[in-house]
Amino acid sequence: MNDELLLTSLWLVPLIGAGVVLLMPRGTERLMKYVATAFTAAAFALSLYALFVYAIDARAAIPLAERAASDGFLVIRHDWIPAFRIQYYLGLDGISVGLVAMTSLVSLLACVASWPIEKQVRGYYALFLLLAASVTGVFLALDLVLFYVFFEVLLLPMYFLIAVWGGEDREYAAIKFLLYTLLGSAFILVAILILFFWSPGDAAAGGFSAGTFDMMRLAEVAATTGYYGRWIQNWVFALFLVGFLVKLPSFPFHTWLPDAHVEAPTPISMILAAVLLKIGGYGLIRLAWPLAPLGALDWSYVVAAVGVFSILYGALAAMAQSDFKKLVAYSSVSHMGYVTLGMSAMNLAGGAGYYAYGVNGAMYMMLTHGVTSAAMFFLVGVVYDRSGTRDLDRLGGLNDVMPVYGAVSYVIFFGSMGLPGLCGFVAEVLVVLAAFHYSVAMGILAASAVVLTAGYVLWMIQRVFLGRNEAWRGLSDLSPREIVVAAPLVVLTVLMGVFPQPLVLSWLSPSVDRVVADVAAGTGQADARDEPPTVVTESR
Amino acid sequence: MPWQVSLYAAAVLIPLAAFLVETLFLRRLRRRNATIATAAIAVSCALSAVGFVDYFLVEHRAAFSEPAHRVADPAEPPAWEASFDWVAVGTSMGGRALAIPLGIRIDGLAALMFLMVTTVALLVHVYSTCYMTDNARYPRFFAFLSLFCFSMLGLVASSNLLMIFMFWELVGICSYLLIGFWYEEKANADAATKAFVVNRVGDVGMLVGLGILWSALGTFDFQEIVDLLRDDAGALRPDAPIAYGLLTLAGLGIFAGCAGKSAQFPLHVWLPDAMAGPTPVSALIHAATMVAAGVYLVARFFPVFTPEVLNVVAYVGGATLLIGATTAAVQTDYKKVLAYSTISQLGFMTLALGVGGWSAGVFHLLTHAFFKALLFLGAGSVYHGVHTYEMASLGGLRRRMPITAGAMLVGVLAISGMPLFSGFYSKDAVLAAAITKVSAEPRHALLLVLPVLGAALTAFYMFRMWILVFAGEPRGFPDPHTARVIHARDEEHELAEEDAEHGVGAPQYELNPAARARESPALMTGPLLVLSALSVFSGWTVWLGLPIGTPVLERMIAHAAPAGAVDVHLAHWPAVATSLIVLAAGLLTAVSYYAPAGLPFAPGRRLDPARAAGRLGPLYVLFVNKWYFDDLYALVLVRPCLRLARACAGFDRRVVDALADGLARLVALFGRVGGWFDRLAVDGLVNGFATALYVAGDRARSIQTGRIRDYLMFLTLAVVGLFAGVYAWVR
Repeated sequence: MNDELLLTSLWLVPLIGAGVVLLMPRGTERLMKYVATAFTAAAFALSLYALFVYAIDARAAIPLAERAASDGFLVIRHDWIPAFRIQYYLGLDGISVGLVAMTSLVSLLACVASWPIEKQVRGYYALFLLLAASVTGVFLALDLVLFYVFFEVLLLPMYFLIAVWGGEDREYAAIKFLLYTLLGSAFILVAILILFFWSPGDAAAGGFSAGTFDMMRLAEVAATTGYYGRWIQNWVFALFLVGFLVKLPSFPFHTWLPDAHVEAPTPISMILAAVLLKIGGYGLIRLAWPLAPLGALDWSYVVAAVGVFSILYGALAAMAQSDFKKLVAYSSVSHMGYVTLGMSAMNLAGGAGYYAYGVNGAMYMMLTHGVTSAAMFFLVGVVYDRSGTRDLDRLGGLNDVMPVYGAVSYVIFFGSMGLPGLCGFVAEVLVVLAAFHYSVAMGILAASAVVLTAGYVLWMIQRVFLGRNEAWRGLSDLSPREIVVAAPLVVLTVLMGVFPQPLVLSWLSPSVDRVVADVAAGTGQADARDEPPTVVTESR
Repeated sequence: MPWQVSLYAAAVLIPLAAFLVETLFLRRLRRRNATIATAAIAVSCALSAVGFVDYFLVEHRAAFSEPAHRVADPAEPPAWEASFDWVAVGTSMGGRALAIPLGIRIDGLAALMFLMVTTVALLVHVYSTCYMTDNARYPRFFAFLSLFCFSMLGLVASSNLLMIFMFWELVGICSYLLIGFWYEEKANADAATKAFVVNRVGDVGMLVGLGILWSALGTFDFQEIVDLLRDDAGALRPDAPIAYGLLTLAGLGIFAGCAGKSAQFPLHVWLPDAMAGPTPVSALIHAATMVAAGVYLVARFFPVFTPEVLNVVAYVGGATLLIGATTAAVQTDYKKVLAYSTISQLGFMTLALGVGGWSAGVFHLLTHAFFKALLFLGAGSVYHGVHTYEMASLGGLRRRMPITAGAMLVGVLAISGMPLFSGFYSKDAVLAAAITKVSAEPRHALLLVLPVLGAALTAFYMFRMWILVFAGEPRGFPDPHTARVIHARDEEHELAEEDAEHGVGAPQYELNPAARARESPALMTGPLLVLSALSVFSGWTVWLGLPIGTPVLERMIAHAAPAGAVDVHLAHWPAVATSLIVLAAGLLTAVSYYAPAGLPFAPGRRLDPARAAGRLGPLYVLFVNKWYFDDLYALVLVRPCLRLARACAGFDRRVVDALADGLARLVALFGRVGGWFDRLAVDGLVNGFATALYVAGDRARSIQTGRIRDYLMFLTLAVVGLFAGVYAWVR
């Protein structure tokens, strides 16, 4: 398939789907479900195809920027608003291709999980597909403005999906989500504008200005020159960091998450946890670190401390919850702490090999958390649909009543707990190992989280699945439709834990390693900051 | 890749395949799961027997010569091994190429462990087909057993530390699932959670060890780590790429992991509770194999431990064996006696390794596996006959259950260290190691006192148990109420009672169960007999067990010993003398307190256990309350942790969130101020518009009432302001 068409249709297909659903007449609600599912399935097929092509083609080894300049393998670039050098610039590398595939997979599963929703079906699916389209666009975009546009557009459907189809306190949660994210995006926007406009006028060769929104170009400049100097990089990094930590979310910007999750309907929680949070991590690995490596190095200790704190704090807060969904929400905060920690474990002494483990671990955590958190929220939804409660103290004894549900839940929650042989372990161990090379104290703190994680997961399992509870006798086990939603996630949880290298890292780690190498090279430019940059931006 | 590696890989993977089949087709297979699981472990057992024969009888015949006379043959391959990279990232980064391999490494120690684990596991499988037969979750039980066998064998076969850690966690989860097998009862679910969480506390230490070693050495492979740290003579390299303090910390961390898994003080508290699982599981996992994994890892990592770490290991072992033995001596439940006795015996092994008696510790690990499995399966057989664990209500079972009584007696004699029984030889080796250590460093005299005391207590509490259960006449429960209360604690009656509620027969409460007990079926007594034989012969020397020379098993172990392990045979005869004396002391005490009336040693009025307990006073109370560890941990760890968790959650709501809400309110306030300004400054139309826009925000929660447009406007202002500020600042 033509790459131009493929990349564009990855985000356009769901958007067309949204249009089609909007045009369907009243009374065809049932059909709308199937149409929406068909469109998400088509998007999933396309992304799977893209992943497949990427994984087997030798050209995938070529850096994105070079591919854009030469044969255009899985990358397209056109002028969009030439006056501001804004481009329609999409591309896939190992980092984005996995997230795009996960987005479309979770969208498909969430779409199937949405079938029971009966309220304003047309609006729901239209917004749902719009959301899927814009999230995919975020991961595809390689132009900062295009990225920002997708990033802002997705807020709209998310806001309404929570505010209209949510639980009792949905409006509060929706506006909270919106405000937090807008706040974060303000920071990101400022960073983007600095990158474009900043020009140290007193430099010898008549000033230097990047004057581009091209992420790849900016990353290249950052890696090869000490552009802008340490001072500005510190600012750029801090702005990106706050912007994306809100999205991730990390302490202290996380309090929108429990509310949003508790109020959002189950399928939206799945998308929120599995996909939207990953935009934060994606922003860190794609923008914050590569575009401001010196800033990242200077801030690394603070960021690592925030990561470790989030891990422990999230786990402790999860332990104290009595709402099943809130518990899972706080566990997300804890798991995303590993992403922050892995990214910031920047001990580059003796080569960046150890740091590469941290960043790969962070990326792996994003993918595994995407799988397990989608599944966990789905499972919470299943029990809530049947029993009408999420109160852990009222549940119990479900293992006897719903054995298949129990077995599925065990695999998923153990995967989230980091049990070896399941996906969470790989991510955690890579991050923790890198953390030890960065700082033994941080390593010990991060390692000690395994007790808390085991504590809250097992205590939850005990309160939900074990024991005896007459109240829930007669609840039905998973329906075939629910098994269809859960099965792929269970299979991925196992496979990603057993075969990390062939299944994921073989296509993921070359791209991640390249980012690591660029960041390491960029930090080596510390002395060059007062000299004029040797590479001047090309004008297109 | 040597063919033996494929052989062992198959032995590891066959139980996994069995587990997958049993789980995926659970509904179709039902009770046939038992056959599949048993067949799988039987194949593994046969394969490991082949490997064992090949290792010791074909490739390493030198193993059978006396350790002292052994001539090292450098050409001899020490192990069969093969591995592949499981994770390899950042390989093009410069510096050391880092990869995380998975691999199999079989040396003498692994070959011995493999054979022991598969043998005990096979016997337990056979036994369980009968013991668990009435259970509704029979198919699931065997699926879990298969998963456990895979994990345990993988652990033994691992070639590196991270892989050990992975299987370590897997055996932990199997243990969790099987302890909580009767999960309807809250106590059982609690016990399962407790076991896993306490183990995870140890695992933190293990992760610390892993992380430090990896970040300093860049490898997890045992052999590579040892080669980086030690020279050929076994001395620590002065140029080792890791600071001594860090190496000690790493060693302590790894030992913490071992302490968790092997129930060493202060992490021993989970093991007694783990007895909530079915008794065959207690035999296999919580006595013979999994709990020995910690000791196994200490043996594996012996060359990595600095002398300071080894001293910690020795003292922890000593403390553990004393705590275990004293608590075992006052239990009234025979399964709990065995549980605490396991803790105590694991302490023996750890102490032996800590004082440098590498072969002694491993030797005791292997003999203990046989006789402790025997004792637990015997206990299961007793339970099968009487459905109670209370020793006070039993007695006289030797007539009704002669095979079980005989087998249990063999186990008791073995664990107490009776000559000609395996435990004698291994305990003797442990004592010899302690004597060697203490005669070299007299300030560590406690390391000899503790095992001697522990050995005497072992003989005492084991004979006490045997006498109370099998000797004398059946005592029965004092009244039906007690019978009912005690039966209510039993897992199977729990289910029976539930059946009764649904009208499926009435639960039977025997008032005097021992008087009506019947011997267990052959599927259960058969394994007992096999284990009895193993408990006797596994310690024998070539001279029909006479204490001349070194026991055959110990010679094989010594063949695998790392450099730096002490040769204990200088202290052989003092150790024999000591162990005979303490055996006699313990045996006589037990007999003189508990022997039934009519025997020459029957207790008089002066030797009443209750009076003795009274005389022990606070000590007795301490022992009965398990040294108060559970209460202490609840007080200083569990409750504060939960309180901290609640504090975090509260902080989240009341501080972090309130701050965010407050900020939002502030913005809304600005909005209103802007509104007033608009109204006062601008006329009519604009005024009305502003009112509609801003004043609506007054009701209910302010954050919820603000309009998005306001926020968007202020965000735009904020962006511009922020940008201008940053610009001005950096300019």
